[in-house]
Amino acid sequence: MPFINFATKEINCKIVYYGPGLSGKTTNIKWIYDHIKPENKGEMITLATETERTLFFDFVPIEVSNVKGFKVRFHLYTTPGQIIYQASRKLILKGVDGVVFVADSQEERHDANLDTLDDMVENLKEYDIDIEELPLVFQYNKRDLPNILPVEVLRKDLNRWDRPDFEAVATKGIGVLETFKEITRQVLKKLKK
Amino acid sequence: MLSLRPEEDEKLRKLLTELNKESKSKIVLLIDKSGQLISRSESPAFSSDDITFASLTAGNVAASEALSKLLGDKSLNHMFTETEEEGIYMILIEGKYILVSIFDKNLSNLGIVRVKIKKYYKKLVELLNQIEDRIKRESSVTEQIDVEDIDLDTLFE
Ligand SMILES: Nc1nc2c(ncn2[C@@H]2O[C@H](COP(=O)(O)OP(=O)(O)OP(=O)(O)O)[C@@H](O)[C@H]2O)c(=O)[nH]1
Ligand SMILES: [Mg+2]
Repeated sequence: MPFINFATKEINCKIVYYGPGLSGKTTNIKWIYDHIKPENKGEMITLATETERTLFFDFVPIEVSNVKGFKVRFHLYTTPGQIIYQASRKLILKGVDGVVFVADSQEERHDANLDTLDDMVENLKEYDIDIEELPLVFQYNKRDLPNILPVEVLRKDLNRWDRPDFEAVATKGIGVLETFKEITRQVLKKLKK
Repeated sequence: MLSLRPEEDEKLRKLLTELNKESKSKIVLLIDKSGQLISRSESPAFSSDDITFASLTAGNVAASEALSKLLGDKSLNHMFTETEEEGIYMILIEGKYILVSIFDKNLSNLGIVRVKIKKYYKKLVELLNQIEDRIKRESSVTEQIDVEDIDLDTLFE
């Protein structure tokens, strides 16, 4: 749910990166954080285990000024992909305005992609969020690895809503910005409606 | 969609600033449960990133709420965390918002903070209800915002 303050002329939107464990969610928003100008970002928060797995969430606040006099803030969150953190994942979806589903392209991770997508659909349902109405983008990450599935397969199995999707190598920043731009475009478009 | 009109923003900020002063807090914040900062007291001395603070507070409260549900308790009402020097008191408002007071333990204490929050609680809830009623009455706020496609490239180096 976006929050609009007409006094300070600010709009806040929440974007969540969802996907199975190790698919590259944290890598996506870390890349964005590292490449954004200092004046456009706040403090990044990472709640991770000692082995750098997301434990609760990562958080990156991004500020875009001068959108016709309004300042737009995108709050990027990642969920913890590991199965044991199911309860935490649901908490982070609360009030979400847009979702990026980061899939792992590797063949052996495809079951995890499918399970996590089911889990997301279920959680959205519990919040009464209609996925048909929700800004949503798919990213097929880790395209640099050898044992990956063809995009058509990933698309057919995951992108059942026929949304924009992108191939990515998040560690190199490939596809990261495109994905981010698309989700913000959709979120802003929905805001205008 | 949650929105604040200028006069509502001012009323909220005034209320939180009064509460902040009377409770001798460093800052008082009003946050929604999804992690957005709605309003805060005028506390120029507070230097931490309030946006990030709001997101962490909401995460903290959400986790504690889920914990209390697991334990069979129906609802979490408030919680308290402390550092060596500061106390952080969080109280849920109408199950939807979180009011947070951060205070210096040398200057204030949990008792004072709770008494002062009690004093302002009703006023705050009334104000929030008025805002929600106004939002319900309005058909669409977004007609008044002109969000053209923004050039995100300018954000990056
Ligand atoms: N080869 C390759 N490795 C990647 C790519 N993207 C991420 N990784 C690596 O995959 C590992 C996991 O990445 P994270 O971003 O931490 O994954 P995550 O989705 O946040 O995982 P959880 O927090 O456990 O849910 C790291 O070692 C990354 O460097 C990619 O495109 N290609
Ligand atoms: Mg992670």
